[in-house]
Amino acid sequence: MTVIRLARRPDVWTVLKWVVAIAVAVIAIFPLWWMVNVVFSLPGEPVSINPRLWPTSVAAGIDKIAMIFAETEYFRAYVVSLIYSILTIFGVLAVSSLAAFEFSLFDFPGKKITIAIVMLSLMVPTAVTIIPTYLLTSELGWLNTMQGLVVPGIASAFGLFMLMQFMRAIPRDMIEAARLDGAGHFEIYWHIALPLSRNAMVTLAILTFMRTWGNYMWPLIVGTRPEMYTVGQVVGLFNAPLSHQTVDVVMTANLLAAVPPLLFFLIFQRKIVEGIAMSGTKG
Amino acid sequence: MLLFVVFFLYPIISGLFYSFHDWNGVREPTFVGLSNYRWLISSRDFSRAMTNLCVYLLITVPIGIFAALGLALLVDSFTGRWANFFRNAYFLPVVLPAFLAATIWRWIYAPNFGLLNMILGWFGIPAVNFLNDTGTMMYALIAVDVWVSAGFNMVILLAGLKNIPTELYEAARLDGANKWQQIIHITLPMLGPVMFFVVTYSVISAMQVFDKPWLLTGSSFTEYGGRRGALLFPVMDMMGQAFGELKFGLASAYGFILTTAIVAVTAVMYLLGNRKETK
Amino acid sequence: MAKLNMITGGIASLMAIFACSTAMADDVTLEYWVFSDFAQGDALALQETFIKEFTDKHPGVKIEIVGKGDDDLTAGQVAGAASGNLPDVFMNGIRVGAQLAEAGVLANLYDKWMAMPEEYRAQFDKNEIKNCMPEEGKLYCLPYTGYGSLLFRNLTVLEKAGIDPSKPLTTWDEWLDQMKKVKAAGVNAIPDQSLVFNSIAEMYAISGDASTWSIDWDARKTRIDPKIMAKVLEKFVAMADLNSGTSRNDQATKDLFITNQLAFHTVGPWVDPTYVEAAKNSGLKYDYVLIPGDTAGKHGGIKYYEFVGVAPGKNFDISWEFASFITEKEQMVRWAKLLSRYNSNAAAMNDPEVAALPLVAASVEAVKGAMDVLPPYFVKAVPNCYLSTVVDYTSATADGDYSPEEGAEEMISELNACLAQ
Repeated sequence: MTVIRLARRPDVWTVLKWVVAIAVAVIAIFPLWWMVNVVFSLPGEPVSINPRLWPTSVAAGIDKIAMIFAETEYFRAYVVSLIYSILTIFGVLAVSSLAAFEFSLFDFPGKKITIAIVMLSLMVPTAVTIIPTYLLTSELGWLNTMQGLVVPGIASAFGLFMLMQFMRAIPRDMIEAARLDGAGHFEIYWHIALPLSRNAMVTLAILTFMRTWGNYMWPLIVGTRPEMYTVGQVVGLFNAPLSHQTVDVVMTANLLAAVPPLLFFLIFQRKIVEGIAMSGTKG
Repeated sequence: MLLFVVFFLYPIISGLFYSFHDWNGVREPTFVGLSNYRWLISSRDFSRAMTNLCVYLLITVPIGIFAALGLALLVDSFTGRWANFFRNAYFLPVVLPAFLAATIWRWIYAPNFGLLNMILGWFGIPAVNFLNDTGTMMYALIAVDVWVSAGFNMVILLAGLKNIPTELYEAARLDGANKWQQIIHITLPMLGPVMFFVVTYSVISAMQVFDKPWLLTGSSFTEYGGRRGALLFPVMDMMGQAFGELKFGLASAYGFILTTAIVAVTAVMYLLGNRKETK
Repeated sequence: MAKLNMITGGIASLMAIFACSTAMADDVTLEYWVFSDFAQGDALALQETFIKEFTDKHPGVKIEIVGKGDDDLTAGQVAGAASGNLPDVFMNGIRVGAQLAEAGVLANLYDKWMAMPEEYRAQFDKNEIKNCMPEEGKLYCLPYTGYGSLLFRNLTVLEKAGIDPSKPLTTWDEWLDQMKKVKAAGVNAIPDQSLVFNSIAEMYAISGDASTWSIDWDARKTRIDPKIMAKVLEKFVAMADLNSGTSRNDQATKDLFITNQLAFHTVGPWVDPTYVEAAKNSGLKYDYVLIPGDTAGKHGGIKYYEFVGVAPGKNFDISWEFASFITEKEQMVRWAKLLSRYNSNAAAMNDPEVAALPLVAASVEAVKGAMDVLPPYFVKAVPNCYLSTVVDYTSATADGDYSPEEGAEEMISELNACLAQ
């Protein structure tokens, strides 16, 4: 609230603030806009006509998109990637929030060691663990299946670490109070811990979506059959360095991959706002 | 619990096991003791990758966090629609898949005709070959990195900012604190745990930096790191050893040296963080 | 939330069931992995025709074609080998062959090969079969497609620089002279050839050949000759101020060429579709010639092959039949005609209709004078440090950190150190 009152008097700082805010926004948005303009231009037109401020041919762009959908299994890849991402999000939210709840609000024997292991696994580069995890998945017979894609990703050290940091801020006396009122373990989790960490959960959901959607290496080795191809892999077909594809088609394939995460973000950004508002009043 | 044990612990332990073996992923591993580690430490690319990593880490993390904090405070100072707009705009780069961002930036950085060189040209600055001049490659990477990570960290910091009770600010204002003082004495201390998370996570992910330099330099499993290895990082080298040369034992050893480094850095930060909290 | 979870869970398990059932439905299902280019559009349609012709003759056999990008092919094959889920028939670049053979991914095809009629064996390019055969009694692959690098020339730029493109380009000196003229006219002459291993090899072939470019695995030493290397590095120094700063493989390089900002591009024929399209849309005028050598009659450039390999295991026999079927002349003729691309079936290249295709004809000529990019193949895996050392010292010499002689000297001793490990 303070901010509004301060902003009423237009001074140098207010102006500067707007200038900086808008300049940063341009830097953040323009590269993507540039890409859109490259896609919506005539085929064979050089990419390097600068500055590209507007699309030059919407029809040509639509043709390219139609061609990609017709010639590759892009649509199926969308479906696979979406299911993969959504399942991973729910898995990560459920597992991480439960574990973070236990770790950050209660003491139990071996707690420190367990946390240390989780932290350690965050620090081990995936290049080390990817082959053992792959062999494990293969032993389970999960290659080329959805559970093979999703389950190893659910154990998210990142999610656990993030939620732990947020849940630590929950006052212990609230939990004690709930316990005195006769609330069980799960009820405390469900009625106190979860609502209080709602922002963090929504944020984690969005970040998990981005990560899963952009994940390349794991789907590549686990889902080798075309019916399990994710969007990243289909785009990879276009990005092969010695590809016969022309530049603008490659760019179109790349851009299409960004559409679902963009939509996801635009839809759910309202949720973040709501989540923030709710916990703000409780603060 | 089982899930965590199976998918955290098992891969790590078997990775450690392989790091003492010569293993190409298919044949039976043969025990070679510490020779993987010894070979690595004496290898030219290893020291180059580690040097690059140190430089990168020391620049990108502070810049990234200051940028994120700046953006978070900036967005927080707006209200309603504009706050939404700016927040979403700044987060946009995070939403883009890495390969898309890299493709775009490769064009922006292109010598001769890239967008950036065109802008420099307006000011009469001669063209720079950002991604192939060993003097600029690191900064070109860091710029892209901050472009993405600032938005990412901003969202987390914003969530933390919103959790700070407004009464604290009211009280401070009544005490006559100006805005700057409020930031120093209320915002930053109250952001403590969230900030610790952001810093730790930034450091850990910076030390595992892989996809951006890989894509910006157009790397493959046999050729990576860009001109004269100026953008060679440990995880890139590790992936090359693993999938280019099928030296999974060596790659695991590489991973554990890196992990040890990450653990050490994080432990130091954790101790520093704890000391602050108890103060 | 719970409902959505159930629905998505249901879909996932359905998909899992689907994935399993397709794997079990028939007697044999072969997995056939190809380069991503070959699994798109017209190329895919032709591959599917081949598959259909084969399966019609072999009832009970089903073949699933899977496209993957270059690096992804290797990663997938390695991971598959580790877990025993190898594709049955697959392609890859010949450079990766030794790694795959060491990992036991590639079956030895020698007996099968020798059992084929002489008439079949005679179809293949002799040199390429030799590449697949590191020693007598071992044949790890059937050579498939390939290329010899060509020199693409932007005619508009050449005219602007006052160069008559109709006069044949016969030696390096003439070529360098033309590059200087192009630069004087304010246009980039050539991509930065020092950025990737393949373009350095292309330049090395101008002065040297494979006998001094290969690796002596018995002694674990490079065969690179310091004198020839010094001569080659001089070329890089000469080109340092003439190049565009982008690599041979960058998309930006193609874009420069299309917009008449680049005169020469030494590369394989895969850029041609882009240039054809640009010729149609923006009036690009270009042609392709052989890369000149130091002396008239010698040529620079590299040749490189993609191969078809067969995995060992229970499907080996039928997999071999399929592999030998797709590499046979009749299929390779159709393949070459469709893509207008060179391949290693010499008999197919001699087919009059194929030989009449300009890009194929030029490739056949290019391959004759070109150098193998990383010989010998299928002996031992070339460590990555070998490639990075060549690239690093070439770049450093072009940057002026070493004189060409010093650069060659240092490069060779570092290469030997890399091989000795």
